[in-house]
Amino acid sequence: MMVAPALSLLLVFLLLPSIYVGWLSFQASTYGQHARFVGWANYATIFADPVFWRALGNTLVLVQVVVYGELLLALLLALLLAAPLRGKALIIALLLAPYAITETSAMAMWRYMLEPDVGLINQALVGIGLGQIDWVTQRWTALTVAGLIAVWHHLPFSFLIIYSAVTTVPRELMEAAEIDGARPWQRFRHVTLWVIMPALLVAVLFRTIFAVRLFSEIWLLTGGGPARLTEVLSVYLYRETFKYHEFGVASATGSIMLLLSLLVALPYLWRLYYRLVRGA
Amino acid sequence: MRWAGVALALLWSLGPILLVVGSSFKQARDIFATPPSLWFAPTLDNYRALWAGQPAFFHGLASSLVITIGATLLTLVVSCSAGYVYARHQGKLLQTSALMMLALRMLPPIIVIIPLFPAVNVLGLNDTHLLLVLLYAAFYVSIATWIMRAFIAALPRELEEAAEVDGAGMLRIITQVVLPLAVQGMVAVAIFVVVFAWNEFVFALVFTTTLAKTAPVSIAEMLSTVEGVQWGVVFAAATVQLVPVLAIVLLLQRYLVAGLTAGGVKE
Repeated sequence: MMVAPALSLLLVFLLLPSIYVGWLSFQASTYGQHARFVGWANYATIFADPVFWRALGNTLVLVQVVVYGELLLALLLALLLAAPLRGKALIIALLLAPYAITETSAMAMWRYMLEPDVGLINQALVGIGLGQIDWVTQRWTALTVAGLIAVWHHLPFSFLIIYSAVTTVPRELMEAAEIDGARPWQRFRHVTLWVIMPALLVAVLFRTIFAVRLFSEIWLLTGGGPARLTEVLSVYLYRETFKYHEFGVASATGSIMLLLSLLVALPYLWRLYYRLVRGA
Repeated sequence: MRWAGVALALLWSLGPILLVVGSSFKQARDIFATPPSLWFAPTLDNYRALWAGQPAFFHGLASSLVITIGATLLTLVVSCSAGYVYARHQGKLLQTSALMMLALRMLPPIIVIIPLFPAVNVLGLNDTHLLLVLLYAAFYVSIATWIMRAFIAALPRELEEAAEVDGAGMLRIITQVVLPLAVQGMVAVAIFVVVFAWNEFVFALVFTTTLAKTAPVSIAEMLSTVEGVQWGVVFAAATVQLVPVLAIVLLLQRYLVAGLTAGGVKE
């Protein structure tokens, strides 16, 4: 009984709408019309749309760069802070600051630093003789900026997960390795890495799932432009819904995002299932 | 070496924030000074302009506050009761539903906009605080329940059994015996929801227009104006919006770690 409110919130706002999206992806649907079954036509439409493929490509590239770039930074940071350090609690608290910032303000900060002519970053580029870059009007530089902002914003999350794993590495194990003459790199590779591997996998899983949804970074930076070059899947879905009112096509896009996320999450859920349900 | 790395990491995390907070006290001519001015005569002009010119932003702050408090309270009530059941009762069906909760966290929320948008219009819930409260609670109820489950499972059962012998009902046992001992978990849940609800952008953008429009959406509108961005005013707005939640995160960060560990994020 007492789990009912929690489950019904999930049912009404997440589960039923998702199932409905799956159903709607096989219908032709727009405002003022009854949904009409069209089979795989919506999927055929998006698979024939070069903008969709570009959005999918952009999403996959961004996900890889964001997740692994962030993982590497988080790992370096965690190792850096693993040793005893004065004021460590304060340093960690300050490193978490970006987590508290809204996406829109984060965007304002970075756009300001990247402004042509007057922004800090372009000034610095000119200063070292590289010349300035008009970041947001070209496909790859705009995607780079979106990825950079995403990494800045979510690094605290990956860092916390990995850092708390690094602190569980048994001291005796490290000392034993040191006595056996293992160099720092060997100690990392053969001791630390093994202990923190589950945390690394969890960080990769969650960050991948969250990066697949990436929306605001692109929407607020370029709106998907110029000429829809920088769209990601969620921006493509948003446009199909609110600009073209093609709810069937939007649902097909949504179903693909859903499948992508579930595919990534499946091994993790499977493991939990064994531990929780089979073990119970 | 180590301190250089720490300094670099701090610059990366705090630099953009300090730049915005600092620039919010600069006059227009100082904001884009070349090279950037570290020393300048501070002014409150941007805050005055924000107050005079952007009433929608302050209305948005009030909306954000209402929605954040509502979503946090709802999530806490719902996840405490569910977390208690999951922590204290076994059974295949129950455990499967706990797992279902976590599985639902994996699906991209943006897809539910497609069916919810027309449904919400029919129900007259568009542009209401209530809708965002329900949505935000729905997005966080699974991690919140898992956090509460972990915290409650770690408590000794004896106290509850003693209360039961004294004839206390389930509701009294939870509110008077269990929850006072699980405050840490509740704080962790509250931080997650507060940070999310205070800052959320996509759903607020889709489901609010005027009455329930939140502060982040209002800042986004200031950024996408056609007359050219008034950076000073945007910085003042961003500063006002970020200070309370940044303070919460900095002061209560140890609960974040506890919550992440308990929330099924880590094994």
